[in-house]
This record gives sequence, C-alpha cells and structure tokens, in this order.
Amino acid sequence: MNTDIHRLLDDAFAGVDMTPDARDLKEEVRANLMARAAELESAGTAPAAAARRAIEELGPIAHLLDDAPASGVRTANPATPSIAELHTRNKVRPKPGFVVRTTLLSLVAAGALTLATLAALDVIDGGASAVFVAGLAAAVTLGVITGDSLRQETTTNHALPTGRAVGYGAATFALVSALAAFGAFAVDTEAVALAIAGGALLLASIGLFSWLGATQTNRHKAWVRTDLRVLTRFETDEAAAARFGIYSGVIWIAGIGAAIGLAIAFAWWWALVVLGVCIVITMLILATMLFGSAKPNN
Amino acid sequence: MTETDAFAADLLRGNTDTIVLGVLRRADNYGFEIHKTIREAAGGDHEIKEATLYATYRRLEKDGLVESYWGDESQGGRRKYYRITDAGRAVYRARVSAWVATRRIIDTLLDVKDQ
Repeated sequence: MNTDIHRLLDDAFAGVDMTPDARDLKEEVRANLMARAAELESAGTAPAAAARRAIEELGPIAHLLDDAPASGVRTANPATPSIAELHTRNKVRPKPGFVVRTTLLSLVAAGALTLATLAALDVIDGGASAVFVAGLAAAVTLGVITGDSLRQETTTNHALPTGRAVGYGAATFALVSALAAFGAFAVDTEAVALAIAGGALLLASIGLFSWLGATQTNRHKAWVRTDLRVLTRFETDEAAAARFGIYSGVIWIAGIGAAIGLAIAFAWWWALVVLGVCIVITMLILATMLFGSAKPNN
Repeated sequence: MTETDAFAADLLRGNTDTIVLGVLRRADNYGFEIHKTIREAAGGDHEIKEATLYATYRRLEKDGLVESYWGDESQGGRRKYYRITDAGRAVYRARVSAWVATRRIIDTLLDVKDQ
C-alpha cells in the first residue's frame, strides 16, 4: 500500500477548516488518489513518485472547496426570488398533442369504466365477458395515460426515461385489468379462470410497482428541491411522517378487520365498501398532513 | 498549449456535466474511473482536469442529477460512487439532442464536409 498518499493528502488539507463537507471530500479524494497511484505504479513508476504525481495532477485543494457546498449550509440571500417567481421562470407548458391525447383517452376510459359497472350491476346485458372486455379497455387506456404522462416534462419534474414510464404504464394496466378480472368473476363465479388471471395480474402489478418504487430516483428539478421544501413536509418533519404511519396502520388494521367481519356476517361486497372508505380516509389524511401548513421554524 | 488545443479543451470543458452524466448512464462509478474513462476517450490530449470533475460532481449532486453513496472500504480508502438519477437521465437526453442540433448548425456554418 502506498502510504505517501496519506501524508501528501494531509499536507494538502493542512489549514483547511475540516467541516463535514471537507472531510467527505478528503475521503473521496483519498480513494481516487490511491487508485491513480496504483495505476501509475503498475505502469512502472516508483511508489513515492506515483504518489507525488497523483497529488500534482489533482491540483490545489483550496480550489475544490471554493464553490458552494453540496449540501447543508446555504447562505441567506436577500434577493432570493419568491416561489411564485421561480415557478413562472421555470414554467413548462404541456404539449398540445399530449393534452388532446389525454383528454380523448380519459373519455374512452371513463366510458369503458361506466360500461363495465353497468354490466356488473346487470343494467345492461353482456354478463361477465362484457365486464371483462370493458374493464380491459379501461385498463389499456389508463395504462397509456399513465406512461404518457410520466414521459412529459413538467414545471417541477423532469421527464421519466421511456423504459420506466412504460413500466409504470404496464403496472397500471395490470392493476386495472386485475380489477376487471375480479369484477367479471364476481358476476360469474363459475369462471375460475378469471379469478386466476386476476390474481396473476395483481401479483404482477404489485411486483412491478415495488420494483419501480425501490429503484426510483429523484425527478424534481433543482429549483423545486432547493426552494420548495414545504412540499415535502415528511422529509423535514419526521414526527408528522411517524404520525401518518401510525394513523395509516390503525385505519387499515381496523378497516380490514371490519371488512372481514361484515363480509362474513352480511355479504361479500361489504368488504369492498369498507376498503373503499379506508382508501378515502387515508388519502384525506395524507393530503392534510403532507401539504398542511408546516410549522414556521427557521 | 497551442490556440487550437485551447479551443478544443474549451469545447470539452463546456460539456463536462453532460460528459459525466453520459459516463454514469452506463453504470454507477467513482471519481478515478470516471476520470480515466474521459482521459482514455480524449486520447490524453485534451483531458478534463480532476479538480474540474470534483466541482462537477458537487454541482450535479446539488441539482439532483446524480446521487452519491460510499462503497465498501477498499485498500486505503472508501470510494464515493455516483449514480445518475431519473432527472439526470432526462437532462442528459435533452442536452444530447441540443448538442446534435447545434453540431449540425455549426457544421453548416463552418462549411464542414463529412469526412
């Protein structure tokens, strides 16, 4: 191991105020210098000379610490533009083609969902196959709308890469078509294939959504990240995030218990009603807690 | 350095952010390897200085275009790896199309014939 690097690095950082930022930089530089020195040594340079050359190539350290720190301390600037000004400056108008496309597809989706519901309630003829086909049409259109929307650049977000946007579209399609299959199965309980297809689609959708969620990285534009901290209250207010977690847990445990109880005592569709109510309550709590007024602390 | 070299170095330096995003688009990577990739592609003539790259990483991270994480302890130090974000990919693609369009304009204006 080339120990000269550590001594030369200490020399280079002598007199630098060792903030956490500077310490991080020093560690990052150290590993890169070690790799560079090893490369030079394997090309035949003597260890001491390799270390010196690696440090020389780096240039003056002070220069690296000149510019603004990557995180943390932001000096207060009296001329900082307001959020409204930033919003106007960064405004991205939706593409006309996208707006027309989405409006038309939404109408198709709404029509298909209405048909599926009417067929499920036996208002119109067609039975299980009508429910499934109409539901499938809704699933395709909603999947396309989801993928298409994520491909668009917006005022606050960058466009998602095509592959991931298609992934989200496919996951949405799988979820809605699973609901269509279960709906059709509820109308015709003889058709076990529908229940199996629904289960497979639901699992595929959960798997795909989980994978996409776990590998998701940031999409927010820089101006949103630095100046709209209010929008992401759970990041700054951990107590609020914890409270939301507890509320959700209580709502869903109680909801699932009630759903099972009512389904056994009365009719199966009571379970759907209870779960629907749970979704509404969770969304309302999320809306009030995530976007509610943050405490005026700093 | 001749005037021609300085011109080429300026062009390269002006696109450092996009070049780094392009390198990270292939796989997560750390400073030394990123620098090496650029050095080898540039043929050793007009390389981007390491100090410039550190400034670039910090700027890209601040703008949310890359994320960083520490790798496992290797011989003598921990490597800081960079990963391109979805936002970074979007910016990369937008810059590449801007580059392609601009290159065509400059080629036309400078009357460059295809080699």
